[in-house]
Amino acid sequence: MHNPPDNLGFGLGLRSAYYQAILEQRPAIDWFEIVSENYLVEGGKALYYLDAIGEHYPLVMHGVSLSIGGPHPLDRDYLNRLKQLAARVQPAWISDHLCWSRGNAHQLHDLLPLPYTEESLLHVATRVRQVQEVLERPLVLENVSSYLRSADDQFTEWQFLAALSEVSGCELLLDVNNVYVSARNHSFDPWDFISGLPAQRVRQLHLAGHSDYGSYLIDTHDQPVSDPVWQLYQRTLRHLGPVSTLLERDDHYPPLDELLGELDKARAVAAAALDKEPQCA
Amino acid sequence: MRLNDWQQEVEAYLLGQDPTPNPALRASLLGSAALAVEQGLAIYHNAYRARLLEALRGDYTAVHGWLGDAEFDAIGSAYIAAHPSRHYSLRWLGAELASFIEAYLVPEQALPLGELARLEWAFTLAFDTPDAQPLSLAQMAELPAEDWPELQLRYVPSVQWQTCRFNSLAIWRALKEQGEFPGSLALEQEEPCLIWRDGLVSRYRSLGRGEAKALQGMAQEGWSFAELCAQLNEYGDHAPLQAVTWLRQWLRDGLLQRHLP
Repeated sequence: MHNPPDNLGFGLGLRSAYYQAILEQRPAIDWFEIVSENYLVEGGKALYYLDAIGEHYPLVMHGVSLSIGGPHPLDRDYLNRLKQLAARVQPAWISDHLCWSRGNAHQLHDLLPLPYTEESLLHVATRVRQVQEVLERPLVLENVSSYLRSADDQFTEWQFLAALSEVSGCELLLDVNNVYVSARNHSFDPWDFISGLPAQRVRQLHLAGHSDYGSYLIDTHDQPVSDPVWQLYQRTLRHLGPVSTLLERDDHYPPLDELLGELDKARAVAAAALDKEPQCA
Repeated sequence: MRLNDWQQEVEAYLLGQDPTPNPALRASLLGSAALAVEQGLAIYHNAYRARLLEALRGDYTAVHGWLGDAEFDAIGSAYIAAHPSRHYSLRWLGAELASFIEAYLVPEQALPLGELARLEWAFTLAFDTPDAQPLSLAQMAELPAEDWPELQLRYVPSVQWQTCRFNSLAIWRALKEQGEFPGSLALEQEEPCLIWRDGLVSRYRSLGRGEAKALQGMAQEGWSFAELCAQLNEYGDHAPLQAVTWLRQWLRDGLLQRHLP
């Protein structure tokens, strides 16, 4: 059974659309996850609200630009700025994605999947260790939604994550929605993915919505969490035990109360999975 | 295919205009019954453009409002092709759009549209510059009289200058407030405009040429207060009064911080 030392409870992705409501209402949200890049700035509104909200809630830093699997050298300036931000935020942990988002010449601004090969594993593991040296903490890496699969794969994605965690010491952010999206797109069983991960390495879970295009799904983060993802989340918690859970919404922002309702649903699903009363925030 | 070679293929595919993959890239991928290789690649190809255009639309709402979706996306796509992103943050993607517009369009379109783009980028720059504590009127009131002549001031970091030759401010205001497009007009004379952040609020205002020269002299060229008064000799005996009037306004605006040489 999974027993992390710091289960933060049920959190929400911090987005500027909700800054004011959060400060005024102090909603029953256990913690917030920030998109690190939004705060790698010199001053102004974003940092003001970050500091103000950070006074009342635990924070976690979640990046989208590390490009841990990219062909380029690691961006030392970016890493140093990330470290400076961490000194300001004091995050419970720092995460990014198992992906590449920058090519040899240009930024591609997407979470691109890697071929799951021995060569990729060596490449990524070496870079994870370098990042962990700079940040002085384990890096937490998230599985991405994907629409491509390499013909050269030597591992499944979950085997790759397990091996990466083993050889580099990184921890895992398991995005349940991403597993579901990729499973539908690439015709695998999502439970094979989740049950194939090393449970002790799972630091955090993500929940989000996707868009259904008939035969395939796109991870849009602009919808409520779908029923199959709730079912997968429940089964995941039965398997892992309690894990910090984060709800993401990146477009079509509803009133904050709607997201609080979804977080309450996550609490209820978790309570049912773990066979106990829902915990109040 | 080696990892680096494959990533080079994917990068070239994403940046290219043609959503059809070359045979080497196509052969490196596996599809499924749910999602064919071509569909999967097209999702990334579309997403790359959509994401970058969305960032440009967000930074240039007035230019977008003026041009409409189709024309804005055409210019935006040409810009992205000419200036692919080099910064990890999309916040910097649009840094060269005004210069691009000025070179890309015919002059009668390029000049007013480029100026509007520069104005919008100035707001973007002012938005997240380092915080500062501007000198306040109350602090100035406590300054001993003997310190006034040598007083030196500098801009707070957010201050941006723009010289308008067209009615860009009126266009910007109308499009921001979703009002009626006022039409583009050349101004009879150039109008200096300041954009800055006062606390968390972005602000702007036009200046008369005399005030603009005085402010630049003091905050940029390093005039002391005594030099400012001397430069205003056209005001005769009223020079100190004019200097104090402007200074109070600049301090009320939160434009300046004290500089101790």
